[in-house]
Amino acid sequence: MAGSALRRLMAEYKQLTLNPPEGIIAGPINEENFFEWEALITGPEGTCFEGGVFPAKLVFPADYPLSPPKMQFTCEMFHPNIYSDGRVCISILHAPGDDPMGYESSAERWSPVQSVEKILLSVVSMLAEPNDESGANVDAAKMWREHRDEFNRIAEKIVRRTLGIPT
Amino acid sequence: MPVVPLERLPLPNLKVYSFVSVVALSACIYYAAQIIKEPNWNYPTEFDKKDSGNAAGARNTTDADGRTVGQFVSDVFTVMIREPVCVWTMINMAFCWFILLGRAVQKLVFGDLRVSEQQQLRDKFWNFVFYKFIFVFGIINVQYIDEVLLWCSWFSLLGFLHLLSQLSKDRFEYLSFSPRTPFWSHVKLMALLAAIFALSGFMFVVSIFVGFFGGLNTFFFMFYEVLLLAIRTLHVIIRYAFHLYDIRNESTTPATSEESRTLDKRGPVSYYFELGFDLTALIIDLIHHLHMLLWSNIFLSMASLVICMQLRFLFHEIQRKYKKHRNYLWVRNHLEQNYPMATKTELQENSDNCAICWENMDAARKLPCGHLFHNTCLLSWLEQDTSCPTCRMTLNIQNPSVTSLEPPELQADPQENTRRPFNHFFHFDGSRYVSWLPSFSVEVSHVQAIRQNHMAATNSQLDAMARQVQTLFPHIPLSTIIEDLRVTRSVELTVENVLDGRLVAPPMFRDLNLDEPTGRHTLSLLSTEPEPSSRNWDEFNTDSVETEDTVTLGSRFSKSSTEREKILHKRKEHMIQQARKRYIEKQKAAATAVRCELQS
Repeated sequence: MAGSALRRLMAEYKQLTLNPPEGIIAGPINEENFFEWEALITGPEGTCFEGGVFPAKLVFPADYPLSPPKMQFTCEMFHPNIYSDGRVCISILHAPGDDPMGYESSAERWSPVQSVEKILLSVVSMLAEPNDESGANVDAAKMWREHRDEFNRIAEKIVRRTLGIPT
Repeated sequence: MPVVPLERLPLPNLKVYSFVSVVALSACIYYAAQIIKEPNWNYPTEFDKKDSGNAAGARNTTDADGRTVGQFVSDVFTVMIREPVCVWTMINMAFCWFILLGRAVQKLVFGDLRVSEQQQLRDKFWNFVFYKFIFVFGIINVQYIDEVLLWCSWFSLLGFLHLLSQLSKDRFEYLSFSPRTPFWSHVKLMALLAAIFALSGFMFVVSIFVGFFGGLNTFFFMFYEVLLLAIRTLHVIIRYAFHLYDIRNESTTPATSEESRTLDKRGPVSYYFELGFDLTALIIDLIHHLHMLLWSNIFLSMASLVICMQLRFLFHEIQRKYKKHRNYLWVRNHLEQNYPMATKTELQENSDNCAICWENMDAARKLPCGHLFHNTCLLSWLEQDTSCPTCRMTLNIQNPSVTSLEPPELQADPQENTRRPFNHFFHFDGSRYVSWLPSFSVEVSHVQAIRQNHMAATNSQLDAMARQVQTLFPHIPLSTIIEDLRVTRSVELTVENVLDGRLVAPPMFRDLNLDEPTGRHTLSLLSTEPEPSSRNWDEFNTDSVETEDTVTLGSRFSKSSTEREKILHKRKEHMIQQARKRYIEKQKAAATAVRCELQS
């Protein structure tokens, strides 16, 4: 099982290295375990997360790509679709069988034709446009809806922290 | 509350233990040597207690003087056998050797154990001890101390091999996650597995020998265990062989048409092989437990309850495998009957690789929506979902039989089995009393489900405990709690640690919580700070960005993994520095703009 997953991950790694999408870097932290990656995502321009570089951890299952990886930001995040421990809640990361929120159609869910690149790109667009209907972080969703300027200020602080600039 | 003074009672470490054992043994030998110096020592004396039955009858030559070395040794041995204290010391020494041997094997083959492996080993060990305790005292119902000793030594050897084989399996799975395992670690692991397999052959001989004296039932009890060990080990060996074969193929012929064809052919073979081994092991275990239940009249006892729970679990497991297999067969038939193999021209038109494995296709199945995939890739996907991976077209719309033949619970099966709740039948929380006592539980659950999740490095019990703690302290991340629970092994102690401030959230969480201990970090982020415009941005220097090899970084995929790691690391650093520079420059520009506006 793990053999084909390993080959596929290697192919994806190669592709991501040779043609990296703008503002995204991803790869295994230590190649002794090829199933655990770190990704850096640049905050999309024109949004409150602009300029930040957000590190995240991707953990792949042994039967990848049949099951989706898990993704968790390792920096502090404040976003409607990110749990307070950093886990990312987007439909592309949910296996077709399960539906924790009970609202997604299976067309948005994981399928083996998805890839690390597509996941990271969807995360970028999630950063730009939070989906405040699925509340992974209810406080953030509420603030996003009602006090946008405060939300922006928090985002600004997070951006600075990820860059190592004192707030 | 746990008993406080015992709380930090240290478990003696291996060095101390082996030292004490050696000292005790030498004391006994010295004692024995003193005794045999006296003439007439071998006449029936007060030493002759119940242990004498083993050895005393064998010899009665007494020559105090002029003994050869061999005689001396055997005399010492005779004395020691007769003396209960010495017997226990010898048994202790044997155990000590055993542990040392285990340590040596671990050092030689595995090196340092990973956290998850240690965890798994500990859980397995205590479960094994528990079940064998039930077996010896609840089912066999041994009466004499010699019998207990024999069973104990049998089970310690067996358990040792079981644990080693389990450990090798875990390690093999871990190694298969890496593209660059050194050749030697494969050789070592394979050698260990082969040795375990050979030893299980030896154990088989022993069981026949014992069965010759002890009767058919005893033979079968021992035989099942050996068989299980052998089958599990063989399973790992063959899987390993497949894996090594794959790796070798890959390095010599990188994904040629030849290889993908063998892969395609081997799909069902390896499937049936896995299924066969799993089912055989489960059925043997089932028979073993049934035998235990029926043979000994232990109905209406605690032991029978434990056995029944185990039987129930095994039965469910077999049933699940069977259902899954039926699903597999059905999907495969459906695939073969309804979706034709793509023709040559179709393959040529479609120049893409298989979207599932990203490898070249020279034989493919075509779905009604026109998408092509490898046969095996498609099969393994359709087992868990019934739509086209690319366009999500539901495939059972065209074939209404899918829904009727495939009950809905089967489609969700792969997810279900990793997430099934773990019901604990019995739970002993030793660390409440003494810190090193084990906490173990008789889990009537799927042990393999935990293993599937080996990267998470947790087991169900730990996870459940961690969640319990987290409900109390939501601001502490789960991983931190689990780390602490590994040490304390008890919810109460971890909670105490949190309350006493011994367990703190990692820095990124902590600095948010400084002014707001309830963990609502939004509030601390809200606290007013100096406006960015008032900050003196000039004090940040942005020149530190190195630009030498930025050009080469992007467009290279090195063959060596260490170089790849290095390049990746550099690229990341470069990206952060660039972002930092851009950010500061932008802020500077904004600040000067504000200043200009103020001046004008």
